[in-house]
Amino acid sequence: MSAHLTDLPPRPDTAGELVDVPDGWEVRDVEQFLFREARLADENDYDGWEALWTDDAIYWVPVDGEGDHPRTTVSIIFDNRSRISTRMKQVKTGKRYAQAPPSNLRHILGNIELIGGRINAAGGTDLEVSANFLALESRARGNQLWGGRTTYRIRRIDGEIRLAYKKVVLVDNDKAVPTLGFLV
Amino acid sequence: MNDEMHAVGEGPRHEVTLDEGAAGATVPAGRVVESEFASVAVRLDEQGNSVRLRVEDLRSGRVRFLDALELETVVWLEDGHLTQLLDPSHERWRG
Amino acid sequence: MTALVPSPAEVVEGESRYDRLIQPARVHGTLYTDPSIFAEELRKIWHKTWVFVGHESEVPEPNDYVRKQLADQDVVMTRDKDGEVHLLINRCAHRGLQVCDDKAGNSSSFRCPYHGWTYRNTGELLGYPYNKGYGGKNKLELGMGKVARVASYQGFVFGSLAQEGPSLEEHLGAAKGEIDRLVGLSPEGKVSLDAGWLRHQTKANWKFLAENETDGYHPQFVHGSIFGVAGSPIGALYSDNSTAVTRALGDGHSENDLRPEFRTFDEPMRWFGTTPDKVPGYLASMAESYGEDAHRRTVEGAPHVMIFPNLFIAEIQVFNIQPVGVGECVQYSTAVQFAGGHELNMRMVSQSIGSVGPAGMLLADDTEMYERNQRGVEMADPEWLDVRRGLVRETVDEDGFTIGAATDETAMRGFWSHYKSLMEADA
Ligand code: FES
Ligand SMILES: [Fe+2]
Repeated sequence: MSAHLTDLPPRPDTAGELVDVPDGWEVRDVEQFLFREARLADENDYDGWEALWTDDAIYWVPVDGEGDHPRTTVSIIFDNRSRISTRMKQVKTGKRYAQAPPSNLRHILGNIELIGGRINAAGGTDLEVSANFLALESRARGNQLWGGRTTYRIRRIDGEIRLAYKKVVLVDNDKAVPTLGFLV
Repeated sequence: MNDEMHAVGEGPRHEVTLDEGAAGATVPAGRVVESEFASVAVRLDEQGNSVRLRVEDLRSGRVRFLDALELETVVWLEDGHLTQLLDPSHERWRG
Repeated sequence: MTALVPSPAEVVEGESRYDRLIQPARVHGTLYTDPSIFAEELRKIWHKTWVFVGHESEVPEPNDYVRKQLADQDVVMTRDKDGEVHLLINRCAHRGLQVCDDKAGNSSSFRCPYHGWTYRNTGELLGYPYNKGYGGKNKLELGMGKVARVASYQGFVFGSLAQEGPSLEEHLGAAKGEIDRLVGLSPEGKVSLDAGWLRHQTKANWKFLAENETDGYHPQFVHGSIFGVAGSPIGALYSDNSTAVTRALGDGHSENDLRPEFRTFDEPMRWFGTTPDKVPGYLASMAESYGEDAHRRTVEGAPHVMIFPNLFIAEIQVFNIQPVGVGECVQYSTAVQFAGGHELNMRMVSQSIGSVGPAGMLLADDTEMYERNQRGVEMADPEWLDVRRGLVRETVDEDGFTIGAATDETAMRGFWSHYKSLMEADA
């Protein structure tokens, strides 16, 4: 890699210590949050979906398994909060053709597992959860079955559960994949 | 052929542990040097009166120790000679 | 089909099939849909001309290898112990098994998992197990398949499956200068393509991509959604008031030359959508390397060039287009990295992730168009695609290249005339 790497931050999936599952989380509440996030994505409720994110958000869809460092190698998606917002504004123009018309889409989540607590940059502890998913997408191009494992980091802000981090590892991310215009 | 089957039977089973901060894994037999074509564990062995390199073919369990002079010889092997040694029928699958 | 004229597929005395299908102002829809034309393209273009395969920086060390695609061929790009780059066809000379399975690795030799035949990373067979069955060692004059000719230019590796033909430099022609321009933005005069590749499956004929890459007519429409939101000035570069030009560089290559616009502004890094204060380390190194000329280089920016048939350099991204079938191809894309590029390199990675690949805010929309285009041309009527835009105002520049306005189809016409000459050649 030819970049000067001295100021390269740690890769986000392993940044911050992983500790025991913090107190105060009910599995059922966590699941309900993940289901809601998936439904907002499936139903193209862009504002509702965007509102789930924290200011330090990271939304990452790597290639080649867990992916290489997202600042020095390419990923399918590596959005911070401001890029999530750009993405939402683009799709809301109605002329983001890759998603206009929107895909008909349904996510199924399973194997939801509380992984632990993850120390975040502010020194707090986020809950790290992962889940398997299948998403059936229907577009004029044809139907596409997407699947993978998603790792989420969530935290409570003013009593609301919010999403700080979402990494989606597609099972076929070592192959050519079609346009991914929806929120995976 | 018989030697080889024997070696497979005796090969230790390796518990692979993640070695943080480095590519590859560490097994009790040493750090692993591997490609899609071979997996070999290497570690320094200090049981003898001078240090040796312990090399283990993880696919068969066969072990060889290489002393300093042998290693130096490998370094000085002419490329063509080394290539000959890679011929599968040179030693391992002779006949 | 409502055929008012004889079917374009029908050959008339004294005319080639392609005289009928490819005309100065229009091309026939079957060029994108007919499997027999695709089969002929494989023979006459993809298996013959120089095709971009990868970059030397993907195999930096002796004995590195990486799997690549050359049209329908699974190819292993290797660097041998002496540093020479080879393109092997990933097929065992014994019974045809795929020899390398990993995406990349480092090995001086490859051992086929089926019966243990072992090859040097130059493709030469170095041995097989139990050699008595062949009467001893070194009895077989066999090896892995090889791409007949391999050559690179500024580290970009091309392969040609034909033993003979124009040299790579002849093939690149005027496009060489565009690659030089890219490399000239590195303070060390070197680029690498080692930031990984996105792989975007596209249900469309490869030619829709090749034509679109330097189509200056579409950006305002297809990319309006992101230009507006991101406050991007790119849209204006591709308007009818733009001073940018579309240039047919010959040999099927073409560019959108945006330099006239950037020269007017005379602002370094405007081409990259940033300002000098954001990339001070990079600009200092450029000044150190190129003195006065650094200003011109960083004002004019990187090229936007389509190199026939499959290498597209979109300023800071490189695309490698490989066909899969008549109606499918894969776009491989990555971020250019400049040797000595400092903070610019990470910015190029970040900008590329935002723009290209399956979820890219630019390329996913282009790809949607390619796929709708493919479905469109499967319709019966009208049978033709119109490529006449700008014919009325084309001129020839001081170097003898045909140029059109920013939104003209000059590049497409250059593409088609080269394509036609290849398809009319004997197989
Ligand atoms: S097919 Fe490769 S060794 Fe037999
Ligand atoms: Fe485009």
